[in-house]
Formats: sequence, structure tokens, C-alpha cells
Amino acid sequence: MKSKTLPLLLLFLTISFVNAQNYSFGKVSEEEVSEKVYPLDSSAVAAVLYRSVNVRYNYTQSTGFSTITEVHERIKIYKKEGFNYATISELLYISDTSNEKEAFRGLKAYTYNLQEGTLEESKLKSSDTFTEEVSKYYSKEKFTLPNVKEGSVIEYEYTVTSPFYYNIHEIKLQFDIPIKKQKISVQIPEYFVFSPQIKGYLEVTPKASTKSGKITFNNKDRNSSGGFSGTSTFSSIDYTINVSEFEMSDVSALKEEPYISNINNYRAAINYELQYVKFPQEPIKYYTTTWEEVAKTIYDSPDFGSQINNTRYFKEELASILANTSTEVEKMNAIFYFIQEHMNWNEYYSKYTDQGVKKAFKEKTGNVADINLMLVAMLKEAGLKAFPVLVSTKNNGIPIFPTREGFNYVIASVAIGNETILLDATNKYAEPNLIPNRALNWLGRLIKEDGSSVAISLNAGAQSSETNMIQATLNGKGTLEGAMRIIHKNYNAYNFRNANNSISEDSYLEKFENKYNGMEISNYTIDHKNDLGDPITEKFDFTLENQADIIGDKIYFSPSLFKTEKENPFKLEKRTYPIDFGYAWEERLMVNLTIPEGYEITTIPAPIAINLPNNMGSFKYNITNTDNEIKIMVILGVNSSIIPIQDYDYVKEFYKLLVEKETEKVVLSKI
Amino acid sequence: MRLFISLVTLFFCHFLISQNLEYQSLLIDKNLTEDANAVVRSNEITININAIDELVVTKRRVVTVLNKQGDDYVYAREWYDDSEKIIAIQAVVYDQLGKETNKIKQKDFNDVSAVSGGTMYSDSRVLYLEYTPVSYPYTVEFTVETKTKNTGFIIPWRFLEGYGVSTEKSKYTISYSSTDLKPIIKEKNLDNIAVIKTDTENSITYEASNIPAIKYEELAPSFAEIAPQIHPRMVNFIYEGFRGAINNWQEVGSWMYSNHIANKDELTEAAKILIKSLTAGATDDLEKAKIVYNYVQQNTRYISVQVGIGGIQPISAIEVDKVKYGDCKGLTNYTKALLNEVGVTSYYTHVESGTNKVSFEADFPDLWAGDHVILAIPYKNKLFWIDCTSQVHPFGFIGDFTDGRQVLLIKPEGGELVSTPAYLNEDNHQKIEGSYSISNENKIDGLVAITTKGIQYDNHFMIKDRKPDDIVKYYKGIWNYVNNLNINKYTFENDTNAVVFRENVSITADNYATKSGERLLFSPNFFNRNDFIPKRYRNRQFPLEIQRGYLDEDEITIQLPSNYDIDAIPDAVAILNKFGSYSLSFKVSDDKKTIDYVRKLFIKDGRYSNESYDEYRDFRKEVSQHDNSKIVLIRI
Repeated sequence: MKSKTLPLLLLFLTISFVNAQNYSFGKVSEEEVSEKVYPLDSSAVAAVLYRSVNVRYNYTQSTGFSTITEVHERIKIYKKEGFNYATISELLYISDTSNEKEAFRGLKAYTYNLQEGTLEESKLKSSDTFTEEVSKYYSKEKFTLPNVKEGSVIEYEYTVTSPFYYNIHEIKLQFDIPIKKQKISVQIPEYFVFSPQIKGYLEVTPKASTKSGKITFNNKDRNSSGGFSGTSTFSSIDYTINVSEFEMSDVSALKEEPYISNINNYRAAINYELQYVKFPQEPIKYYTTTWEEVAKTIYDSPDFGSQINNTRYFKEELASILANTSTEVEKMNAIFYFIQEHMNWNEYYSKYTDQGVKKAFKEKTGNVADINLMLVAMLKEAGLKAFPVLVSTKNNGIPIFPTREGFNYVIASVAIGNETILLDATNKYAEPNLIPNRALNWLGRLIKEDGSSVAISLNAGAQSSETNMIQATLNGKGTLEGAMRIIHKNYNAYNFRNANNSISEDSYLEKFENKYNGMEISNYTIDHKNDLGDPITEKFDFTLENQADIIGDKIYFSPSLFKTEKENPFKLEKRTYPIDFGYAWEERLMVNLTIPEGYEITTIPAPIAINLPNNMGSFKYNITNTDNEIKIMVILGVNSSIIPIQDYDYVKEFYKLLVEKETEKVVLSKI
Repeated sequence: MRLFISLVTLFFCHFLISQNLEYQSLLIDKNLTEDANAVVRSNEITININAIDELVVTKRRVVTVLNKQGDDYVYAREWYDDSEKIIAIQAVVYDQLGKETNKIKQKDFNDVSAVSGGTMYSDSRVLYLEYTPVSYPYTVEFTVETKTKNTGFIIPWRFLEGYGVSTEKSKYTISYSSTDLKPIIKEKNLDNIAVIKTDTENSITYEASNIPAIKYEELAPSFAEIAPQIHPRMVNFIYEGFRGAINNWQEVGSWMYSNHIANKDELTEAAKILIKSLTAGATDDLEKAKIVYNYVQQNTRYISVQVGIGGIQPISAIEVDKVKYGDCKGLTNYTKALLNEVGVTSYYTHVESGTNKVSFEADFPDLWAGDHVILAIPYKNKLFWIDCTSQVHPFGFIGDFTDGRQVLLIKPEGGELVSTPAYLNEDNHQKIEGSYSISNENKIDGLVAITTKGIQYDNHFMIKDRKPDDIVKYYKGIWNYVNNLNINKYTFENDTNAVVFRENVSITADNYATKSGERLLFSPNFFNRNDFIPKRYRNRQFPLEIQRGYLDEDEITIQLPSNYDIDAIPDAVAILNKFGSYSLSFKVSDDKKTIDYVRKLFIKDGRYSNESYDEYRDFRKEVSQHDNSKIVLIRI
């Protein structure tokens, strides 16, 4: 009997101990300071022991609504590498139009250390906080805690008051260090209806409740002389506050993996986007509800829809662009290449125009919307069925819930016959249906004149490829001499042009020669380098030393020569996020090799074909030979631009087999 | 009448052309566009030292950008801070024909803080032009005027601004209101360019023209070392209210010491008691110094705040003690104060940091030389060096950040140039001892001990503090030529007294050897394959520079699979040349089941002629070839 109750009792004790953890500000315990490693992740350099973020609304008669964000964080520093978590900065927004700005207040911050067994606290001096005027849009509050060493616990709290009540900042739920416990609370008066959306790979369920609030007005009556009289009357309005609370324990750290477009897409966070505002005795003002609403709201903005309807400024140019065109395809191409040539992208993403299409056209420079909405306008004016397509770029993440912020980019589309062609004129080497990689992100939203919209796939159309053809002779010293031809198609050509068209041919060749360990190139020619729409063809003669192992009277080499895939790019055991290849592609290698005189082929690798499941990719390796010649053809193709996590092991194994096959040797023996 | 009009037109055109000659980009000398992404058409600076506390600088720079890479050379930006104000700033953009297309006024420049990474706060800000080119080439004329009350620092000048940019005209004028404000100018690399120097009673002018662009080459001296340039320095000046008169390094040191160091080492009673109690058991000064350095490493961290005089003067020791952080100046001064308290002398030292060694020059005493501060501790006629911003480096070891260069010791009696220790050639040693077996299933099972010293220690020892994931990634990175590699276990021993680091790593790898019918081929060099081959240049211009030498020694025992016999083993290799040496040998055991593999690579530091570059390249090609040479096994 006794022995049975003991464990239970112990368990009970442990629980009550855990519950006894005091998260009130200033109640840092000795146990927290003496802890040596984070129990759930011994590699953590620091951990958030407790964190609370409280967002609420405040009303004053003179300034109206504002939001107040209260932040309280307690962080444990385990290792020196975690010291940077003792420096905190908060970005504050400044409106350049209204002169209003967010305010940082009430900072209290302490560091706790154990000094000879007793808890010692060091207070942050207010003179050790800094305000950096970052730009005209932002300032930054910065502070770093005093007396931080391995083992320290730091704790701070502050509030940010914002006059921009229609905007609630993203609340991050996951950091690069683990979080032991966090409490997030967002309290919003019934007048503002937001849609919360949670992103990331964590399961989060908010707890909803309501409470009541009251606004009191002080009504002063004007007297006849225009001033205020001394008498006031008070009135008040009761309203409901909608409360969402998130309580989370043991949130793991966000860890970076290779071949990910942007790790922040995977970070757990909540975003609040305003749906509508309804004040008493006022009509509802809608912001968003559905994708259709989102699209319509964006379309109705003066920096979007009306930019498409503005056509006067390019009348003259359009007439000459269309002069020698008759078919719809010709018209589209003529207009696309004109805008691409005429306009220069200032590297800003936006779905809204910055300076407006007219000014952008005159100055020949603009953001994404300036350029692509101008393109839509011109295509429409030419009588084509052209529409804008809203896009979320790769670094903006995949839009799951309908929000305006879900889109940050816009491209153009043209319907010709049954086909929809996508156009993006911001890159000098883009083509019809070949939009820059950044915009190749799942689904876009095509908006029609009436504001209605449909989802549209952004996947790359035609397959991209690189074909390498090598005709070469190997001599008895292992030197390879021959001719090579490389053909780049679609995205391969696009990437080639972006990487190399702005550097000199000499620099390009130097780069190329060094990539292949000092290859020496002569008689280099390149075709269609600048002819968008055509594949690029490079041709040259080369010599390259040390291409075979000569051991005794045998020669060993991989028949894929210097194009051999020697390394498996997928080295990690496990993967948490999908592999992003960007687009479907194929690599072909054809080699015709003459072996050195006086040698015969002793061993030659066997042909092989490997496929990934669901036709996601394939590898074919074919090899034939005569007495003095070896011919190989290797085709590696990936048909799916994104490979889900559950298929990672297949891809890893696929590459392992591929590398094994490509590194297999031909053996030549002296006759 | 007709004649009159055409005359006027002609005259007018002529006037326009001469005005716009440096704005148009149709007629640039071919010499200047070769290998160039941008051409500096004209770069003129006028520095007026109006008084010991008034310095006005006017700059006008016209640059033609030829292509996208050249965009980086627009340089339409100016830094300012609480002491240095921008009085006027403007940029004008011209098209190829020299026609004005944009004019950017002061209010249209972006105004942002210039707090760089690693700094928490500074008052430094920058106004910069954000411009999207609409076609190439284009030309930007940038003019700016600044004023400061500090005359301590005068802008140095390069007549060639970087790789891939040429100079059509570059003019530097410095004028001074009295002879005691005349700066001393050091010229470097001016012999090979066309430059005219004019020295008058109250001004000095340098004007250079037509300097073609140069291309970047690896393993060459740094651009800072090869650029044609001048360095001015003031003998008499005021900096943030501190007056100075500097004629030699001794005076640089005494100006620093008396104004900025002398009274900064006060400590609280508590701090004094603490440091005394920590060192109570130590009798030897060096032992005390080690305890103090360890205390600083364990209790402080690097945070930099740079405002006003804080750019040159350390925060007081008492302040650093309170918050336990500081920049290099603050932490060094704090350590010096603690050492002083326990009776150990040390010297605050200015140094130019970076893996590229830059020495202070004996004949040019410059207050602004250096960008970092370290501490020197004299002990038995030797100086021991510590970097107080590092929480991990062993006592007395400064690594490749500040090694082997002339630095300035700041003593109470003045400054003194000395050299920091250099880690030379064999000092930078890596020894690899290990063994691995190959199973009949082509699986590798291995164990290796890597021992590093000198700069190789510096390159290795910090992995001990990385996260387990990152340690695995690190090994997979250095042995990236091994596919399907698993890191099973690792342990580290860091001997901070001897400055020796030892890594013990156990690995496995599937399918290391490649199959070829009945044969297995594998490179015996599993743990240290050196594939570095310097880039090929069709026409190498600059000397070959190897900043630091090193020695790698590998001894590996290979256990062969039981079902295979040895078919072929590469021949032994021994190469010796002016760059170093390389050797490789194999010893097969009597039962033919194990092979002892011994490799040695020695690279010497030095500067060699440009013609030597290709020889060095050939040497590295050979090393790479032999490091990849294969043993062939055949199935029994």
C-alpha cells in the first residue's frame, strides 16, 4: 500500500512545484538562475522562460482609439552564444503623412545573477536605452541588459502605444530559441472586426471570451462667445470587448534547413487583419472577408484599378508599337517587350503603384505595380483580354486565408484562345509565360473589370532544360580534349541571362573555366544570348587535365567526365520543410568519347533507370561502346517544383543512387 | 540675318559641348573603359582648414556608369554625425548624350541611421541617393559640402577607387589658413600614374589623370596596398575639444594617454576587493594576469556604443564594471584597470585588425591608424597579448585577427611601435592521426584525431561551442567529398595553456569506394583532401601573396576488406619547391590487409612575382591530383 502511494505523491509534488513557478514581473527564482541547460533542448543557447503579450484598445476623447501592446519577457541565457538575446530592439512606425507615431513607454529591465549563492539583481539605467532614427518611416528603441553572463536571467517589460488602431502588428509565437511558456491576449472592442490567421507548423487554438468596456464622454457646451463654459455633462457607451487568449508551453526553437526559400514562412505567428469597422449609428465599413472581397478591395484602391484605366499617356507609343502587328500574340509580344525595354524596376515589390503609372512611364522607372499595371492597361487598350493577377511572392509566404497582406505583388495576364499567358515585365530577361522565380508561388488571383476574381495557377509552363553535348578524346596522360555544346532552355536560359548577360565574356569564361578546375576554352561562340524566347546555345573547344586516374597500366574515369554529379546535395538525416526546386527541369548529358590509343575497355558501368514516386522525377543512364569509343546519355529530370516533406527520403535515396552510378568508373587496360 | 543665326547657334552648341563633356559618355577614351564598369570622369575634393577648429570639405564627383556592376560606384552618399554637418548636397543624372534627366535635391536623399552590425548605437547617419538606372551608360554628378569643428582627421584619397573602375581626372586640394595647420602628406604608389603635385604657400594640390581600371586577382596584395593614394595627417589639431600636436608616435601615445586613458581606470571598492580576492592565491604576475583575463572573459560581453569622443576614448572602467559590457576600448581599459589593481602593468594598444595584416608605419605617426584595441602585458622582457573582446581565445593568443603586425603601445610616457607575435609556417600546424576500415559491403568505419596549433587552432577551436546540429554540419562540410557520411561521435580537448585543440571524431560512410566490375576504387585520403586550386588568369598582373603558411601532417591506417586484394597503389610522391613541399607514401603490411598512408603538405608564406603565380597554380594542381589519387582493390 505504502509503495503505491509514493509515486503518486511525488508526481503531485512535482506538479505543484511546476505550478509554483511565479511569472509576475520581478519574481525570478533562484532555480531559474541556477539552471544549467534547457531541459527539453540541451543545445539551446538561451530560452524564453515566460512571455506575455497583451494587446488592448484605449479610447480618449481627444485622440480617439489607440492600441496598447504590453510586453513582458523573461529570458534565460545559458551560453555565451545566447548573449545577443540580451539586446532588445523594438521597431516603431512613424506616419510620414499624419505626423503620428508609435510610442515606447514604461521600460523596466533587470538582470538576475547568482552571486555566491544569493540572487543579485542589476537594473537597466534609463540612460542606457537608445532611440535610433532609422528612416523617416521608422525609429528603433534599443537596450541591452547590464551584467549578463552565462546563467543570467533577464526580465523586462514595456508598452507600445499606437495611434494606428486599424493595424495590429504580427505577433510571433516562435523564436530561434525555445519558449517555455507564453500567454498572448488580444482584446478588441466590438467595433473592430479582425480576422486572426495563424501561420507556421505549430498547433495553436485561441480561447475566445468577451468582457464589457465603457467609454465616457465629457460633453462641454459651447457658450455664446465661442469658448467652453465651465459646465460639463457626462455620457457613456457600453460595449463588448472580444478577447482571444493563447497559452502555449514548450514551443520548440525554429531551426534553419537548406533548400528553403525563406525560413520566416515557417515561423509560427498570428496576424490580425481588419475585416470591417462598425461604429454605433454608422454604416459598416468593410475591409475584407473572402478572396473575392480582398481582390475587390485591392481593385477599388486608386493605386490599382484606376491605374489600369488610365491610358492617355501612352497613346502615341502604342500606335507605333502596334504598327506591324496583326494577331493577338504579335500584339501581346510587341507590348510586353516594349514595356520590358522601356521600364526599369526599382526593386520594390508592391501590389499598389507608388508614383502612379503615368509618372512612372515618363521617368521609365517604377515598382512592380507601376510596371505591370501599365502593361495591363496597354494590353487592354490594344483590345486584348488582359487582367492583373495578384501574387504572393516566395518570401511573403503562401496565402492561405483571405487577407490583403496575403498579396504583395502583381503581374499581368492575357487570355488568347483557351490559353492564359502570364507576363511580368520587371525583369529584363522575363518572357511571356516565364515570370521571375520570386512570383512562382502556388496560386495567384486574376481580377476582372467588375472586381470579380478567380484563382489561377502560377506554375511554370514549359519545361526548362540544360543540354550538354561533349565530343572528346582522352589521351594516355588523362587529358581531355574536345568540343562542347550547351543549350539552355526557358528558366535555364532566363537564369543564364540574369547571371551572365551583364558581365563581360572574358569574366564569364574565367568563371566557367574555374568551375571546372582550370579548363582552357577556345573558339567560344554564343547564340541567342539576347534573343528572348530562343534557347541559348554555347559552343567551344576545350582541354582539361587530370580527368582520369592512371594507376599502373590501367586508366579509370567516370564516363560523365567533368559533369559527374559527385555529391548528394541532400545530406541531412531528416527534414522538416518541403524542398523547393522552383520549377520543373531536366538536365541532359551526351558524351562521345574516344579512348587513348593502345588501350582497351575492360569494364564499363551498366545502364540504369531510377524513378521517384508519382512521376516526380527520373534518372536515366545509358551507355554503349565500340572498341575505341564510349557513348553515354544521362537524363535527370524533376517534374515537380515542390517536393513534400514525406517524400524527402525518396529524394535523398534517389540522389544517393544517382551519385553512385555517375561516379562508377570505366576501366581501360593497356593492350 | 541667316548667317547671324547660324553663328549664334554654332557658338551656343560649342558652349554646350564644352560644358557637358564630362557628362556625356560617347567619347570616353577606350583606355578607360577597358575592364571598367564605371569611369570616374572627375573627382575633385577641396579641403579648407580655415582654423584649428573649422574644417570645410567640398566634393564634386562625376561618374559614368557603364553597366549594372558599375551601379555600386555611383557613391552619391555622405555620412554625418553630431560633429560633422552636411551644408549642401545634390545629385544630377545625365543620359549618354549628356542631357540632364534627373536632379535630386537634399530633401530627396534618403536619410537613415548608419548604425552598422555589431554596434548598438552611434550618432552616425547617412544621406544617400536611391536611383534606378533607366539605361546604360549614365552619368551622375554628385556635389556635397560638409563642415566640422574637428581637424584631427583629414580624408585620405585614392586616385583609383577600386577594381573595375578607371579615373579620367582626380584632384585633391588642401588649403590651410596658416602654416602650423599644414598637413603632412604621405604618398603611396604614385610612381606609375600621371600625377602633378603643386605645393604653394597655403595649399597643396595633387591632380592625376587617365588611370585605367584594374581587375581583381586572388592571392594578390589587398587593394588598399596597391592603390595610388595619399594620406594626410595634421600636426596641430583639435578633436572633440582636445588640442593636439603630433610629430612622432611617442606623441600620438602621450596625447591618447593623457587625454583619454590616464584617469579612466578608477574602480569601485567592491570591484577592487573582488579582483584582489580572485588573485589572492597567485604570486606570479602572469598567473594573476591569466586570472584577470579569465574573469573578464566570463563576466563581460562586446556591445558597442559610439557617440562623439566615444569614437576614440574608452568608457571608464567604473562604467564597464557596472554594466559588464563595452566595446574594444572599454573592455581593454577595464581589463587594464583590474590588472593595475592587482599590481600587473599592461598597455592599451592601437592595432589595425583583420586577417589581412596591416602595419603602422614608423615614418607616419597617425592618430587614426588602427580600428581596434588590444592589451599587452609585459612579463620577463616579453609582451603577452590579449584581445579583451573575445570570450573564448586563450590567454596570450590573438589569432589571425591582430597577429604579425606593427601596433602602437600607449604607455604613460608616450607611444611605442612594437610587433605582435606572428604565427609562422610550421607554427600553424595540423596533425591528423587516425584509421579506417572498409568492409566487404563497402562501408567505412573510422576514427580520427585532429590536433591543431597556431592559426589552424584559431580556425578550429571555436567549433566546440557550436550546437550539436552545427557541429555535424561542419564535419559534413569539411568532408563534403564523402557521400553518405555519418558523424557518430565527437569529443574535444582544448588545452588553453599550450594553445592546442584536439578533435576526436568517429565516422561511418556507406559506399565510399566506387565500384567498377570486380574492382573497388577509393581515395586513401579520406580526412584531408585539399582541392584548392587558385583561379587561372589569362594574364596575371599582381604578385602572388601568401599571407600565412601552414603545415599539415596526416598518418592514417587503412584496414582493407577481407574479400579483396590490392590491385594497384599510387606511387609515392615527393615535391619540393619555393612555395613549400608535398609528400605522400604508402606502406603495405605483410599480410597485405592494411596500408599506412602518410601525407605532408607544407605551404610557406611570402610574396612572389606575378610570373610565379602559374607555378604555384601548377603546384596546387599537383597536390589536388595526388590528394585524389586512388587505390584499386580487386575481388578475390
